[in-house]
Amino acid sequence: MRGRLVGEDMHLAIEAPVATRGYVARYLPLRLASGVSPLLVMLAAWPASHVAAAIMLATLAPFILGMVLAGTAAARRAQAQHQALARLSGLFIDRLRALPTILAFGAEERMTRHLGISARDAAQRTLSVLAVAFASGAILEFFAALSVALVAVYCGFSLLGLLPFPAPERLDLGRAFFVLALAPEFYLGLRRLAAAYHEKQTGEAALAAMDEALGVLPPLLPAIAPPRQWTGCGVVLTHREGARIGPLDWDWRGPGLHVVTGPTGSGKSSLLLALIGQVAVSEGQILADDGTFLPGSANPFIGWAGQAVALLPGTLRGNLAMGKADDGAMLAILNRMGLGAMLAARGGLDMVIDHRGSGLSGGERRRIGLARAILSGRSILLLDEPTADLDPATAETIRILLAEIAQSRMVIAATHDADLIAQAATQCPIDREIAR
Amino acid sequence: MSGLLDAPLAGQKRALRWGMVCAGGAALAAIGLLGVAGCFLVGAGVAGLAGPLAVAGFNYLLPSAAIRAAAITRTAGRYGERMLGHRAALFALAELRAQLFARVAQGALNGRDPGRSGAMAARFGRDVDLLEDAAIRRVARVGGWTGGLAGLAMVGLLGWGAAMVMALGMAAMRLVSHWLAARLPALQAQAGPAADIAVYDLAPQLAAALESSDMARAEHALARAEAVITASQTILASVIVALIAWSAQGGAPMLALGLLAAMAALEIWAGLAAHDARAPQVRQAEARLQAMESAQTPHPPALTSNPALHIAGRDFAPGARILLSGPSGIGKTRLLETLAGLREDAPQVLRVDGIDPRTLGLAGLRGTFAVMTQDAPLIAGSLADNLALARPGIDRAAMERALWVACAQDIVPLDQWLGGDGARLSGGQRRRVALARALLAGRPWLLLDEPSEGLDRETEALLCQRLKQWLDQTGTGLVLVSHRPAMAQLAAETVNSAFRPDAANRQ
Repeated sequence: MRGRLVGEDMHLAIEAPVATRGYVARYLPLRLASGVSPLLVMLAAWPASHVAAAIMLATLAPFILGMVLAGTAAARRAQAQHQALARLSGLFIDRLRALPTILAFGAEERMTRHLGISARDAAQRTLSVLAVAFASGAILEFFAALSVALVAVYCGFSLLGLLPFPAPERLDLGRAFFVLALAPEFYLGLRRLAAAYHEKQTGEAALAAMDEALGVLPPLLPAIAPPRQWTGCGVVLTHREGARIGPLDWDWRGPGLHVVTGPTGSGKSSLLLALIGQVAVSEGQILADDGTFLPGSANPFIGWAGQAVALLPGTLRGNLAMGKADDGAMLAILNRMGLGAMLAARGGLDMVIDHRGSGLSGGERRRIGLARAILSGRSILLLDEPTADLDPATAETIRILLAEIAQSRMVIAATHDADLIAQAATQCPIDREIAR
Repeated sequence: MSGLLDAPLAGQKRALRWGMVCAGGAALAAIGLLGVAGCFLVGAGVAGLAGPLAVAGFNYLLPSAAIRAAAITRTAGRYGERMLGHRAALFALAELRAQLFARVAQGALNGRDPGRSGAMAARFGRDVDLLEDAAIRRVARVGGWTGGLAGLAMVGLLGWGAAMVMALGMAAMRLVSHWLAARLPALQAQAGPAADIAVYDLAPQLAAALESSDMARAEHALARAEAVITASQTILASVIVALIAWSAQGGAPMLALGLLAAMAALEIWAGLAAHDARAPQVRQAEARLQAMESAQTPHPPALTSNPALHIAGRDFAPGARILLSGPSGIGKTRLLETLAGLREDAPQVLRVDGIDPRTLGLAGLRGTFAVMTQDAPLIAGSLADNLALARPGIDRAAMERALWVACAQDIVPLDQWLGGDGARLSGGQRRRVALARALLAGRPWLLLDEPSEGLDRETEALLCQRLKQWLDQTGTGLVLVSHRPAMAQLAAETVNSAFRPDAANRQ
């Protein structure tokens, strides 16, 4: 339901904090140092030659102006760079995840070309950020060089007695040499600062991106008691992309089995997602025990089994134990679902789930997800197509199991399964025409 | 130093070459600026003391013009060095990223598990970024050496003793920097697992692992080493300048020129040490990236353009329509995916054109089978991007036709962005998009795993009818896994997917 890619979020979580490192560790201390060091150098030069010190100070003003001008142009570019890098990272992760599919269709060369284009785009954006940083560095270099040159020329002409104006001070060779040696040091702090300038740009862009991400975090909802009655009146759901679903009405009273029905793509899954706060409710009202229901506020009481079952790398036990069930309960429910033979062949609850899902079939994954929701012991179950991907006999055992559970809990299932629909207490139909 | 970067950098020769020219020019100008300024100053001082005649004879135009020229050259040179060096490095790295992806793809085709996408993404991201250092270093090194040698030549004007001091001092600076960098703790090897964890974020123990301080410690050690190296270089440089002053011969203007030139040269020379602390990290990153290199693919035996199949004791001619039957969990998906070369663990005897698909691998089989797996993976992109995956050169009309056959013509417009892994689509819609993609591939056999799951009965009947018509028209063979009776009607023959060792033994 989200517009962003997993890899983009990953980039934000991992790379963005890293990008602030140079900003905090180098740029900020240098900014402080660069404010103090020119003044110290100028104070040191002052007793030797007032004019040389004044020359140093005078070249500082246009430099600061240049830096300010460069800074305003930089921020936008740095932001674009941050986005391009995040997108690139998202694309790479996505293409790696889909690699078996890409290979099966022999599309790896086309994908490589496409990734090359994106990578070059990101490189171009990085370069345009650097261009500003280096330009400000060049401005600084120039004024640093100018300051050295002016001091050298002033001192030289003063020693020659050829100054075109009356000499304001008497300069001997020792003093002249001293201020000339100090002249490069006057700008050293600022030159270091300019070298860290692109760390400031990328750091600030990363901080802005993190701020934005933290800003859209949903507020923590006060937990409510698990609703015994859950009703919807004229509820319309709106996807971020603008698709509207509804208006929908339902009246679920727990315990019992309630189904959400409708043709494929009509928005059955979206309704379940809306209840846990993942899809926006734009119109209508949802009530829980006669009070207004804030989507997401009942999540601590909801056992969830979606269409795509998220399995974490680890053991099967670890995946099922997201609830608080013991081994006996886990084995009992898995056996009832007809997974006993699979378990026996693959090491029972210690079965290793790897990052590719360990070759579990769709039906097996679905039943593991369902078992996890049931084992959570929560009083409301939201199930998306609990009997899909299963042969008729297994689907029937799942239906019987759900009927049993529905005697003590509120079970809400999105389904096409006519037999499951037949045993439900209520139906919430989502019509394709309404959804359009 | 970096073999990985050689090929991508070869494409950036121009930028690289001009970057090096700029680096050398900037270094010379920096030394020239201070050297000439010092020489001018002292010469002027001496002339001023010597009286009006000496002042009148003193040529101040040339040195002051040289000072201005040096100031401008140094500025332009530095900017050019940085811009061109980074241009070469960044575009070479972009190229390298694409090459690495091709390499991973090749490895996966040879049956090598590409590993967790999080770890891989870290390789593509952080490890490649570390190589940036190695690339920019090539340009910076030219500046460092030019500056160092020019400084040495200027100091040489002060006599052999001063030149020896300068040369030995420069060598000492490099040795100390290398020695300090080599003493970095080996902790760095541990940096970088965080990306992997973040992908599978969720469980609290993983979140705790993210807070582990190993990485922070490694980074801290690195920062400390960099600071120590920088400080040691600065201290050494001042000691060297003092020693040169002590050992120098020649007049005051020469001394000023030599000393100021030495100061400027040593500052540039110290820049060479900036990369030393990162060098071990860069080497590790490079080793990790090089480990992704995969062996050349042995060419798979060529299959006939429309091969016959053999599945668990039965033979099927091209164009046959086969249902793999059996209860959930019996291994139908495993059988189908083994046939397609996506895995190897089905126990049944299988032959494609008389050859075991497990020996052919995905590389040998992908020209024969178009697969729609149950999870129907989609790539991030538009609907058209996903369909275009099937084969090169598919036009929009063909896409529309395939979507119509798959009953997916009304899902979304072709150019609609589908989000990561088809996040915008429902389970049934995804499968139909994946089905349309498989139809577009134009392979002699179509392998479908539960194509109608998530469909209502009416759509399923329509899909069945259109698919049958499509199979009739194209003569494509079908291997189908489905629990739904309506879909099963598509198949003319049924294979029981239960593994029977006796059937295998008969072979």
